[in-house]
Amino acid sequence: MSVKYGILTLLFGQNHHGYELKKEIDSLLSLKGKVNPGQIYTTLDRLIRDQLVTSPGEDDKDRKLYKIEPNGKKELEMWLLEPVSFHSSKDDFFLKWSCARKIHYPHEQRMIERQKATIIQQVMELTKLKTEALMDGNEETYLLLSGTLLHLEADLNWLNQVENRNRS
Amino acid sequence: MIHLEKIEKEFLQGQEKTSVLKGVDLEIKKGEFVAVMGPSGSGKSTLLQLLGGLDVPTEGKIEIDGSPLHQMKEKERTVFRRKNIGFVFQNYQLLPTLTVEENIAFPLHAEGKITSEKSRRVQELINSVGLKDVSNKRINLLSGGQQQRVAIARALIQNPAVLLADEPTGNLDREKAEEILALLSTFHAKHKQTIIMVTHDIFAAGFADRIILFKNGRIDQIISRKDDNYAQYLAHFMA
Ligand SMILES: Nc1ncnc2c1ncn2[C@@H]1O[C@H](COP(=O)(O)OP(=O)(O)O)[C@@H](O)[C@H]1O
Ligand SMILES: [Mg+2]
Repeated sequence: MSVKYGILTLLFGQNHHGYELKKEIDSLLSLKGKVNPGQIYTTLDRLIRDQLVTSPGEDDKDRKLYKIEPNGKKELEMWLLEPVSFHSSKDDFFLKWSCARKIHYPHEQRMIERQKATIIQQVMELTKLKTEALMDGNEETYLLLSGTLLHLEADLNWLNQVENRNRS
Repeated sequence: MIHLEKIEKEFLQGQEKTSVLKGVDLEIKKGEFVAVMGPSGSGKSTLLQLLGGLDVPTEGKIEIDGSPLHQMKEKERTVFRRKNIGFVFQNYQLLPTLTVEENIAFPLHAEGKITSEKSRRVQELINSVGLKDVSNKRINLLSGGQQQRVAIARALIQNPAVLLADEPTGNLDREKAEEILALLSTFHAKHKQTIIMVTHDIFAAGFADRIILFKNGRIDQIISRKDDNYAQYLAHFMA
Protein backbone atom coordinates (compact mmCIF):
# COMPACT_ATOMS: atom_id res chain seq x y z
CA MET A 1 0.00 0.00 0.00
CA SER A 2 2.53 2.59 1.13
CA VAL A 3 4.99 1.51 -1.61
CA LYS A 4 2.42 2.47 -4.24
CA TYR A 5 1.99 5.99 -2.85
CA GLY A 6 5.70 6.30 -2.15
CA ILE A 7 6.41 5.69 -5.85
CA LEU A 8 3.73 8.16 -6.92
CA THR A 9 5.21 10.74 -4.55
CA LEU A 10 8.72 10.32 -5.98
CA LEU A 11 7.49 10.47 -9.57
CA PHE A 12 5.35 13.52 -8.86
CA GLY A 13 8.19 16.00 -9.48
CA GLN A 14 10.40 14.08 -11.92
CA ASN A 15 10.89 10.81 -13.82
CA HIS A 16 12.99 8.10 -12.20
CA HIS A 17 14.33 4.67 -13.09
CA GLY A 18 13.69 1.67 -10.88
CA TYR A 19 16.95 1.63 -8.95
CA GLU A 20 16.59 5.31 -8.05
CA LEU A 21 13.05 4.67 -6.85
CA LYS A 22 14.27 1.86 -4.63
CA LYS A 23 16.92 4.09 -3.01
CA GLU A 24 14.62 7.07 -2.53
CA ILE A 25 11.76 5.04 -1.21
CA ASP A 26 13.93 3.60 1.56
CA SER A 27 14.64 7.10 2.78
CA LEU A 28 11.05 8.33 2.32
CA LEU A 29 9.63 5.39 4.25
CA SER A 30 12.45 5.41 6.78
CA LEU A 31 10.04 4.83 9.64
CA LYS A 32 8.74 1.71 7.96
CA GLY A 33 11.89 -0.32 7.32
CA LYS A 34 13.44 -1.32 4.02
CA VAL A 35 11.50 -2.29 0.94
CA ASN A 36 12.71 -5.17 -1.23
CA PRO A 37 13.41 -4.44 -4.91
CA GLY A 38 10.93 -7.07 -6.11
CA GLN A 39 8.14 -5.20 -4.39
CA ILE A 40 9.10 -2.00 -6.24
CA TYR A 41 8.91 -3.69 -9.64
CA THR A 42 5.62 -5.53 -9.00
CA THR A 43 4.11 -2.28 -7.75
CA LEU A 44 5.37 -0.45 -10.85
CA ASP A 45 3.80 -3.15 -13.06
CA ARG A 46 0.47 -2.64 -11.33
CA LEU A 47 0.73 1.16 -11.62
CA ILE A 48 1.39 0.80 -15.36
CA ARG A 49 -1.51 -1.65 -15.76
CA ASP A 50 -3.80 0.87 -14.03
CA GLN A 51 -2.44 3.69 -16.23
CA LEU A 52 -1.29 5.76 -13.28
CA VAL A 53 2.32 5.53 -14.47
CA THR A 54 3.83 5.03 -17.95
CA SER A 55 7.32 4.50 -19.30
CA PRO A 56 8.57 7.21 -21.69
CA GLY A 57 11.56 4.99 -22.66
CA GLU A 58 15.09 4.49 -21.36
CA ASP A 59 17.78 6.83 -20.11
CA ASP A 60 21.29 7.07 -21.63
CA LYS A 61 22.38 4.03 -19.62
CA ASP A 62 19.50 1.93 -20.99
CA ARG A 63 17.58 2.00 -17.72
CA LYS A 64 13.82 2.04 -18.04
CA LEU A 65 12.32 5.38 -16.91
CA TYR A 66 8.96 5.86 -15.24
CA LYS A 67 6.65 8.85 -15.47
CA ILE A 68 3.53 9.76 -13.48
CA GLU A 69 0.29 10.33 -15.44
CA PRO A 70 -2.43 12.88 -14.52
CA ASN A 71 -4.53 10.01 -13.11
CA GLY A 72 -1.59 9.02 -10.91
CA LYS A 73 -1.36 12.55 -9.54
CA LYS A 74 -5.08 12.57 -8.87
CA GLU A 75 -4.85 9.23 -7.08
CA LEU A 76 -2.00 10.48 -4.89
CA GLU A 77 -3.81 13.70 -3.95
CA MET A 78 -6.95 11.79 -3.04
CA TRP A 79 -4.90 9.57 -0.75
CA LEU A 80 -3.20 12.57 0.87
CA LEU A 81 -6.52 14.19 1.74
CA GLU A 82 -8.06 11.01 3.16
CA PRO A 83 -7.71 11.05 6.96
CA VAL A 84 -6.24 8.01 8.69
CA SER A 85 -8.08 6.23 11.45
CA PHE A 86 -6.13 5.19 14.50
CA HIS A 87 -6.48 1.49 13.84
CA SER A 88 -5.09 1.45 10.31
CA SER A 89 -1.58 2.17 11.52
CA LYS A 90 0.03 0.48 8.49
CA ASP A 91 -1.15 3.44 6.47
CA ASP A 92 -0.35 6.04 9.03
CA PHE A 93 -0.55 9.78 8.85
CA PHE A 94 3.16 10.45 9.40
CA LEU A 95 3.93 8.70 6.13
CA LYS A 96 1.18 10.53 4.30
CA TRP A 97 2.40 13.82 5.67
CA SER A 98 6.02 13.05 4.63
CA CYS A 99 4.79 12.39 1.09
CA ALA A 100 2.87 15.67 1.12
CA ARG A 101 5.99 17.56 2.21
CA LYS A 102 8.07 15.85 -0.46
CA ILE A 103 5.81 17.09 -3.27
CA HIS A 104 5.20 20.50 -1.61
CA TYR A 105 1.52 19.66 -1.50
CA PRO A 106 -0.42 22.96 -1.27
CA HIS A 107 -3.30 21.55 0.81
CA GLU A 108 -1.33 20.39 3.84
CA GLN A 109 -3.53 22.52 6.13
CA ARG A 110 -6.63 20.79 4.82
CA MET A 111 -5.04 17.38 5.42
CA ILE A 112 -4.29 18.39 9.00
CA GLU A 113 -7.79 19.69 9.62
CA ARG A 114 -9.36 16.50 8.31
CA GLN A 115 -7.00 14.38 10.34
CA LYS A 116 -7.84 16.39 13.46
CA ALA A 117 -11.56 15.96 12.86
CA THR A 118 -11.07 12.21 12.51
CA ILE A 119 -9.12 12.05 15.76
CA ILE A 120 -11.69 14.23 17.57
CA GLN A 121 -14.50 11.98 16.40
CA GLN A 122 -12.60 8.96 17.73
CA VAL A 123 -11.91 10.77 21.00
CA MET A 124 -15.61 11.54 21.43
CA GLU A 125 -16.71 8.00 20.65
CA LEU A 126 -14.02 6.25 22.67
CA THR A 127 -14.50 8.53 25.69
CA LYS A 128 -18.17 7.54 25.73
CA LEU A 129 -17.28 3.84 25.54
CA LYS A 130 -14.61 4.32 28.17
CA THR A 131 -17.10 5.93 30.58
CA GLU A 132 -19.54 3.09 29.96
CA ALA A 133 -16.82 0.53 30.69
CA LEU A 134 -16.01 2.37 33.92
CA MET A 135 -19.66 2.41 35.00
CA ASP A 136 -20.03 -1.28 34.17
CA GLY A 137 -16.96 -2.08 36.25
CA ASN A 138 -15.15 -3.40 33.18
CA GLU A 139 -11.64 -2.48 34.27
CA GLU A 140 -9.68 -4.02 31.36
CA THR A 141 -11.78 -2.33 28.69
CA TYR A 142 -11.57 0.93 30.62
CA LEU A 143 -7.77 0.78 30.79
CA LEU A 144 -7.35 -0.32 27.16
CA LEU A 145 -9.54 2.53 25.95
CA SER A 146 -7.62 4.94 28.18
CA GLY A 147 -4.43 3.76 26.49
CA THR A 148 -5.84 4.35 23.01
CA LEU A 149 -7.00 7.80 24.07
CA LEU A 150 -3.50 8.68 25.29
CA HIS A 151 -2.17 7.79 21.82
CA LEU A 152 -4.83 9.97 20.23
CA GLU A 153 -3.88 12.82 22.55
CA ALA A 154 -0.26 12.56 21.40
CA ASP A 155 -1.38 12.55 17.75
CA LEU A 156 -3.57 15.60 18.29
CA ASN A 157 -0.77 17.44 20.10
CA TRP A 158 1.59 16.70 17.22
CA LEU A 159 -0.91 18.00 14.63
CA ASN A 160 -1.26 21.20 16.67
CA GLN A 161 2.53 21.53 16.78
CA VAL A 162 2.77 21.21 12.98
CA GLU A 163 -0.03 23.73 12.55
CA ASN A 164 1.58 26.21 14.94
CA ARG A 165 4.98 25.94 13.26
CA ASN A 166 3.42 26.35 9.83
CA ARG A 167 1.67 29.47 11.05
CA SER A 168 4.74 31.16 12.52
CA MET B 1 -34.73 21.65 33.76
CA ILE B 2 -32.61 24.75 33.33
CA HIS B 3 -34.02 27.46 31.11
CA LEU B 4 -32.08 30.54 30.02
CA GLU B 5 -33.74 33.19 27.93
CA LYS B 6 -32.08 36.21 26.32
CA ILE B 7 -29.45 36.42 29.03
CA GLU B 8 -27.30 39.53 28.94
CA LYS B 9 -24.61 40.53 31.38
CA GLU B 10 -22.78 43.82 31.54
CA PHE B 11 -20.03 44.81 33.92
CA LEU B 12 -19.36 48.38 34.89
CA GLN B 13 -15.70 49.30 35.22
CA GLY B 14 -15.51 52.96 36.19
CA GLN B 15 -17.56 54.63 33.48
CA GLU B 16 -16.97 51.85 30.98
CA LYS B 17 -19.66 49.26 30.36
CA THR B 18 -18.48 45.93 29.01
CA SER B 19 -20.97 43.52 27.61
CA VAL B 20 -19.87 39.99 28.52
CA LEU B 21 -22.97 37.91 27.73
CA LYS B 22 -24.82 39.08 24.66
CA GLY B 23 -28.05 37.13 24.47
CA VAL B 24 -27.81 33.53 25.61
CA ASP B 25 -30.76 31.16 25.10
CA LEU B 26 -30.29 27.66 26.42
CA GLU B 27 -32.19 24.66 27.71
CA ILE B 28 -30.61 21.89 29.72
CA LYS B 29 -32.63 18.85 30.66
CA LYS B 30 -32.69 17.46 34.14
CA GLY B 31 -29.88 14.96 34.60
CA GLU B 32 -27.95 16.03 31.51
CA PHE B 33 -24.15 16.30 31.56
CA VAL B 34 -23.06 19.20 29.37
CA ALA B 35 -19.65 20.70 28.72
CA VAL B 36 -19.00 24.34 27.86
CA MET B 37 -15.97 25.12 25.71
CA GLY B 38 -14.69 28.36 24.25
CA PRO B 39 -11.77 30.80 24.15
CA SER B 40 -10.76 32.48 27.38
CA GLY B 41 -12.61 35.70 28.02
CA SER B 42 -15.64 34.48 26.08
CA GLY B 43 -17.86 34.55 29.20
CA LYS B 44 -17.96 30.89 30.30
CA SER B 45 -17.26 31.57 33.98
CA THR B 46 -19.71 34.48 33.98
CA LEU B 47 -22.38 32.18 32.60
CA LEU B 48 -21.67 29.63 35.32
CA GLN B 49 -21.87 32.32 38.03
CA LEU B 50 -25.32 33.28 36.78
CA LEU B 51 -26.43 29.65 36.61
CA GLY B 52 -25.23 29.21 40.16
CA GLY B 53 -27.09 32.24 41.43
CA LEU B 54 -23.82 33.88 42.52
CA ASP B 55 -24.68 36.86 40.36
CA VAL B 56 -27.71 38.10 38.43
CA PRO B 57 -28.08 38.86 34.72
CA THR B 58 -28.49 42.44 33.50
CA GLU B 59 -31.34 41.22 31.28
CA GLY B 60 -33.14 37.95 30.70
CA LYS B 61 -34.57 35.00 32.57
CA ILE B 62 -32.96 32.11 34.43
CA GLU B 63 -35.21 29.35 35.68
CA ILE B 64 -34.07 26.22 37.45
CA ASP B 65 -36.77 23.58 37.84
CA GLY B 66 -39.34 26.35 37.48
CA SER B 67 -37.79 28.68 40.07
CA PRO B 68 -37.04 32.11 38.58
CA LEU B 69 -33.56 33.02 39.84
CA HIS B 70 -33.65 36.36 38.05
CA GLN B 71 -36.63 37.49 40.14
CA MET B 72 -35.33 36.39 43.53
CA LYS B 73 -34.03 38.76 46.18
CA GLU B 74 -30.46 38.12 47.20
CA LYS B 75 -31.38 36.32 50.41
CA GLU B 76 -33.88 34.06 48.70
CA ARG B 77 -31.35 33.31 45.98
CA THR B 78 -28.73 32.36 48.56
CA VAL B 79 -31.11 29.93 50.21
CA PHE B 80 -32.03 28.44 46.84
CA ARG B 81 -28.39 28.12 45.90
CA ARG B 82 -27.36 26.35 49.11
CA LYS B 83 -30.10 23.84 48.68
CA ASN B 84 -30.00 23.14 44.96
CA ILE B 85 -26.64 23.99 43.51
CA GLY B 86 -23.12 22.68 44.03
CA PHE B 87 -20.23 24.75 42.74
CA VAL B 88 -16.70 23.53 41.97
CA PHE B 89 -14.55 26.59 41.39
CA GLN B 90 -11.62 26.96 39.05
CA ASN B 91 -9.09 27.33 41.90
CA TYR B 92 -10.82 25.06 44.44
CA GLN B 93 -11.61 27.93 46.90
CA LEU B 94 -11.22 25.75 49.98
CA LEU B 95 -10.38 26.95 53.47
CA PRO B 96 -6.66 26.18 53.70
CA THR B 97 -6.31 25.91 57.46
CA LEU B 98 -9.31 23.62 57.97
CA THR B 99 -9.16 19.86 57.53
CA VAL B 100 -10.63 17.86 54.66
CA GLU B 101 -13.58 16.85 56.79
CA GLU B 102 -14.21 20.39 58.05
CA ASN B 103 -14.15 21.75 54.51
CA ILE B 104 -16.63 19.19 53.25
CA ALA B 105 -18.95 19.79 56.23
CA PHE B 106 -18.61 23.56 55.98
CA PRO B 107 -21.77 24.26 53.94
CA LEU B 108 -23.82 22.43 56.58
CA HIS B 109 -23.01 25.00 59.28
CA ALA B 110 -25.14 27.58 57.51
CA GLU B 111 -28.14 25.47 58.50
CA GLY B 112 -27.27 25.20 62.15
CA LYS B 113 -26.42 22.04 64.06
CA ILE B 114 -24.86 19.07 62.32
CA THR B 115 -27.04 16.05 62.96
CA SER B 116 -25.66 12.51 63.11
CA GLU B 117 -27.31 11.82 59.78
CA LYS B 118 -25.39 14.73 58.29
CA SER B 119 -22.07 13.63 59.70
CA ARG B 120 -22.75 10.19 58.20
CA ARG B 121 -23.23 11.94 54.87
CA VAL B 122 -19.85 13.68 55.31
CA GLN B 123 -18.10 10.36 55.99
CA GLU B 124 -19.84 8.73 53.06
CA LEU B 125 -18.65 11.47 50.70
CA ILE B 126 -15.10 11.36 52.09
CA ASN B 127 -15.05 7.66 51.27
CA SER B 128 -16.52 8.00 47.82
CA VAL B 129 -13.98 10.62 46.76
CA GLY B 130 -11.19 8.40 48.14
CA LEU B 131 -9.94 10.72 50.91
CA LYS B 132 -10.51 8.53 53.95
CA ASP B 133 -6.80 8.39 54.77
CA VAL B 134 -6.38 12.15 54.78
CA SER B 135 -9.70 13.25 56.24
CA ASN B 136 -8.04 14.91 59.24
CA LYS B 137 -5.28 16.58 57.26
CA ARG B 138 -5.29 20.29 56.63
CA ILE B 139 -6.10 21.36 53.07
CA ASN B 140 -2.79 23.14 52.50
CA LEU B 141 -0.98 19.81 52.93
CA LEU B 142 -2.85 18.14 50.04
CA SER B 143 -1.99 17.80 46.34
CA GLY B 144 -4.00 19.59 43.65
CA GLY B 145 -5.88 16.41 42.72
CA GLN B 146 -6.80 15.77 46.35
CA GLN B 147 -7.96 19.36 46.83
CA GLN B 148 -10.18 19.06 43.80
CA ARG B 149 -11.76 15.92 45.30
CA VAL B 150 -12.47 17.87 48.49
CA ALA B 151 -14.06 20.62 46.41
CA ILE B 152 -16.28 18.08 44.65
CA ALA B 153 -17.32 16.46 47.92
CA ARG B 154 -18.11 19.87 49.40
CA ALA B 155 -20.17 20.78 46.34
CA LEU B 156 -22.16 17.55 46.69
CA ILE B 157 -22.76 17.64 50.45
CA GLN B 158 -26.33 18.94 50.15
CA ASN B 159 -27.15 16.52 47.36
CA PRO B 160 -27.75 19.32 44.86
CA ALA B 161 -29.81 18.78 41.74
CA VAL B 162 -27.31 20.84 39.76
CA LEU B 163 -23.52 20.64 39.85
CA LEU B 164 -21.52 23.43 38.22
CA ALA B 165 -17.79 22.93 37.65
CA ASP B 166 -15.46 25.59 36.27
CA GLU B 167 -12.45 23.92 34.64
CA PRO B 168 -12.29 21.21 37.30
CA THR B 169 -9.31 19.52 35.62
CA GLY B 170 -7.54 22.66 34.41
CA ASN B 171 -4.59 22.42 36.77
CA LEU B 172 -4.18 18.66 36.78
CA ASP B 173 -2.12 16.23 34.73
CA ARG B 174 -3.90 13.71 32.50
CA GLU B 175 -4.06 10.89 35.02
CA LYS B 176 -5.32 13.09 37.88
CA ALA B 177 -7.78 14.76 35.55
CA GLU B 178 -9.06 11.34 34.52
CA GLU B 179 -9.67 10.44 38.17
CA ILE B 180 -11.69 13.61 38.72
CA LEU B 181 -13.76 13.02 35.58
CA ALA B 182 -14.33 9.40 36.53
CA LEU B 183 -15.53 10.60 39.92
CA LEU B 184 -17.94 13.10 38.36
CA SER B 185 -19.23 10.45 35.96
CA THR B 186 -19.78 8.00 38.80
CA PHE B 187 -21.78 10.54 40.82
CA HIS B 188 -23.69 11.46 37.69
CA ALA B 189 -24.57 7.84 36.92
CA LYS B 190 -25.73 7.23 40.49
CA HIS B 191 -27.54 10.43 41.38
CA LYS B 192 -28.44 11.93 37.99
CA GLN B 193 -27.46 15.45 38.91
CA THR B 194 -27.48 17.95 36.08
CA ILE B 195 -23.79 18.68 35.48
CA ILE B 196 -22.46 21.72 33.65
CA MET B 197 -18.70 21.69 33.26
CA VAL B 198 -16.54 24.38 31.69
CA THR B 199 -13.39 22.93 30.13
CA HIS B 200 -10.67 23.66 27.57
CA ASP B 201 -9.96 20.02 27.09
CA ILE B 202 -11.67 17.90 24.45
CA PHE B 203 -10.69 14.77 26.40
CA ALA B 204 -12.74 16.10 29.34
CA ALA B 205 -15.59 17.39 27.17
CA GLY B 206 -15.92 13.89 25.71
CA PHE B 207 -17.48 12.80 29.01
CA ALA B 208 -20.48 15.05 28.39
CA ASP B 209 -23.71 14.32 26.49
CA ARG B 210 -23.58 17.67 24.72
CA ILE B 211 -20.93 20.35 24.22
CA ILE B 212 -21.86 24.02 24.16
CA LEU B 213 -19.39 26.02 22.10
CA PHE B 214 -19.18 29.52 23.44
CA LYS B 215 -17.68 32.46 21.62
CA ASN B 216 -17.65 36.14 22.38
CA GLY B 217 -20.55 36.09 24.86
CA ARG B 218 -22.79 33.95 22.69
CA ILE B 219 -23.52 30.31 22.00
CA ASP B 220 -21.80 29.54 18.71
CA GLN B 221 -23.07 25.98 18.38
CA ILE B 222 -24.30 23.08 20.48
CA ILE B 223 -22.61 19.81 19.60
CA SER B 224 -24.03 16.36 20.07
CA ARG B 225 -22.58 13.02 18.92
CA LYS B 226 -25.72 12.37 16.90
CA ASP B 227 -25.13 15.35 14.59
CA ASP B 228 -23.52 14.90 11.19
CA ASN B 229 -20.06 16.40 10.85
CA TYR B 230 -19.90 17.39 14.50
CA ALA B 231 -16.22 16.47 14.64
CA GLN B 232 -15.33 18.74 11.70
CA TYR B 233 -17.12 21.55 13.48
CA LEU B 234 -15.31 20.90 16.75
CA ALA B 235 -11.92 20.68 15.02
CA HIS B 236 -12.58 23.95 13.27
CA PHE B 237 -13.81 25.63 16.47
CA MET B 238 -10.75 24.58 18.43
CA ALA B 239 -8.23 25.63 15.75
N1 LIG C 1 -16.67 41.02 37.91
C1 LIG C 1 -16.25 41.46 36.72
N2 LIG C 1 -16.06 42.77 36.48
C2 LIG C 1 -15.65 43.21 35.29
N3 LIG C 1 -15.38 42.42 34.25
C3 LIG C 1 -15.53 41.10 34.40
C4 LIG C 1 -15.96 40.55 35.65
N4 LIG C 1 -16.03 39.19 35.51
C5 LIG C 1 -15.65 38.92 34.25
N5 LIG C 1 -15.34 40.06 33.59
C6 LIG C 1 -14.91 40.14 32.18
O1 LIG C 1 -15.78 39.37 31.39
C7 LIG C 1 -15.10 38.72 30.34
C8 LIG C 1 -15.42 37.25 30.38
O2 LIG C 1 -14.86 36.66 31.53
P1 LIG C 1 -15.11 35.16 31.94
O3 LIG C 1 -16.54 34.90 32.08
O4 LIG C 1 -14.25 34.91 33.14
O5 LIG C 1 -14.55 34.39 30.66
P2 LIG C 1 -14.04 32.87 30.50
O6 LIG C 1 -14.43 32.12 31.74
O7 LIG C 1 -14.72 32.40 29.26
O8 LIG C 1 -12.57 32.95 30.32
C9 LIG C 1 -13.62 39.01 30.53
O9 LIG C 1 -13.26 40.00 29.63
C10 LIG C 1 -13.54 39.50 31.96
O10 LIG C 1 -12.51 40.45 32.09
MG1 LIG D 1 -13.21 31.09 33.16
